Amino acid sequence: MIHDSIIRDRLVTGDKTASDVTRDIARPILNNPSTAWKVGFTLSLIFLGIFGVSLLYTLFTGIGVWNINKSVMWGWDITNFVFWVGIGHAGTLISAVLLLFRQKWRMSINRSAEAMTIFAVICAAMFPVFHMGRVWVGYWALPLPNGFGSLWVNFNSPLLWDVFAISTYFSVSLLFWYIGLIPDIATIRDKVKSKLGKTMYGFLSMGWTGSTRTWARYELISLILAGLSTPLVLSVHTIVSTDFATSVVPGWHTTIFPPYFVAGAIFSGFGMVATLLVVARKVMNYENYITIGHLDAMTKIIMVTGTIVGIAYLTEFFIAWYSGNIYEQYAFTNRMFGPYWWAYWSMMTCNLIAPQVFWFRWARTTPWFIFIMSIVVNVGMWFERFVIIVTSLHRDYLPSSWVMYSGSLTEIGLFLGTFGIFFTCFFLFAKFLPVINMAEVKSILRNRE
Amino acid sequence: MGILDKKLSLRDRNKMLIGVWEDEDQLMAGASEIAHAGVHIHDIYTPYPVHGLDRIIGARRSKLARIAFFCAVTGLTLMTTMIWYMYVHDWPMNIGNKPVRFTPSWAPVMFEGTVLCTAFGMSFFFFWRNRLVHGIKNELLDIRQTDDRMVMAIETKDGMDEKAVLNMMKNHGAVELREFHNGVQIVL
Repeated sequence: MIHDSIIRDRLVTGDKTASDVTRDIARPILNNPSTAWKVGFTLSLIFLGIFGVSLLYTLFTGIGVWNINKSVMWGWDITNFVFWVGIGHAGTLISAVLLLFRQKWRMSINRSAEAMTIFAVICAAMFPVFHMGRVWVGYWALPLPNGFGSLWVNFNSPLLWDVFAISTYFSVSLLFWYIGLIPDIATIRDKVKSKLGKTMYGFLSMGWTGSTRTWARYELISLILAGLSTPLVLSVHTIVSTDFATSVVPGWHTTIFPPYFVAGAIFSGFGMVATLLVVARKVMNYENYITIGHLDAMTKIIMVTGTIVGIAYLTEFFIAWYSGNIYEQYAFTNRMFGPYWWAYWSMMTCNLIAPQVFWFRWARTTPWFIFIMSIVVNVGMWFERFVIIVTSLHRDYLPSSWVMYSGSLTEIGLFLGTFGIFFTCFFLFAKFLPVINMAEVKSILRNRE
Repeated sequence: MGILDKKLSLRDRNKMLIGVWEDEDQLMAGASEIAHAGVHIHDIYTPYPVHGLDRIIGARRSKLARIAFFCAVTGLTLMTTMIWYMYVHDWPMNIGNKPVRFTPSWAPVMFEGTVLCTAFGMSFFFFWRNRLVHGIKNELLDIRQTDDRMVMAIETKDGMDEKAVLNMMKNHGAVELREFHNGVQIVL
């Protein structure tokens, strides 16, 4: 029996039964890949190829092939790093924070958002690792004894905090994702026909039977992991922001950075979730699971976080003026009216002004429009990181060091290439694992509130 | 008591009565009545978590939260000791003449280490306790118990009125009744 709420729309439409859920969601895994999947996967591989070529060229020639210089020592690379880490925030936010708040609408989108987190963190990690130049001694960033060639690491440095934060975030997110996947992998194990499939899914499902005892403990571990992941997700972008905020560079040295970066990360993460899910729900016929109600909820979060980010931009300006510090004031005037004005105004338009359109119900419930807006959001968030990094560095305290910076072809190739990594991983995930959490969706079919 | 929950295995058990349901509400009502009649339900297998069943089958509250706390304290101690050893004891580094002692700047690494240790430590115990091991042979009573069916298993004991139990299952909407013994199932 389905219980209809008088105030909320159904989370799953189309009067689905548990058996329908398994059939619909396992369809791409149990059948041959569709043409749309093949086209998408091929395109992703092309971009992955671009990444490979750009990376090999960088490795064999040296990072001189990037246009970074002694003033702008962080360019596209760190911009891309912060961009991808930011995107990686929505997954854990959806699965952890919304779990703690008992938001059941997260159940149709948490799996793909968590997968997105993991792939985005992989893309992010590429940039600081290869920015080291001699990547083969990259292990020096780990706390290893002096005999390995370096001194012990510096625990006062935000760059080291980053090493710990990103690696912890990646491994805990992967664990959370895998534990969430086990019951669904067991469902696939019991449906798949091929011997190889049975062996693989059997191995990964770890003998899951769906015992009530296991379910009770499973729900508890999910809750505790959510409780752990919530401060973790906030800590990661806080720590990324301290890479900037602990320096004495005008435009970076601000205490507002941690909350501002976290809000920006959630904003861009939801932007990417919306990009992927608007397409996935159409191509994979998941419109009954990822409903207009889900898109509506996501766009509201985009609007709120976009507004928080916008207020942060304005607060920065106010504080620069209020501080009476001429260097700080110059850095912000230069952002707005200097040679990179176009990047600044792109950021303001995409992040502060554009999401305000979501005040209108039509904008929140029209998939093609949400798709366009989600791209706009991510363009804006890329520009935000570019503005913070490049406009602050290109004119520092010494006018003799002032330079202009633009990304080289290799840097552009690396950035485009990370989309190859991201989408290749995502297409493989969509083919071999259930994109929607079947077990959780089955538990909300009766619409009990 | 060992960590592994032996109740999760179906091996070396007496004859079991199996009821298969397709409706969650009927299963709940059936399980409740059977438990109230003083019959111990060995386990119920469901494709998704059904809240309340754990209490009906008499599953004890998990100690996982306490294990998580223990792992967190271990992680925090390990990280603090590691930083102190490297940064204060073994090779004090003079960076900007900053003091070489405990400072708030240790907090991020201590926090991340604590989270890492808690998440993986707790999960290790979770997998162990629940007999979730790579490559294990799964003991399914019904191939659809991970899809859309719910399976109740009751281990028979001397003096149990099997007929009455089967009747209660049937009256509460069980779509199939079976017996399970030594790995063989017989449809009743």
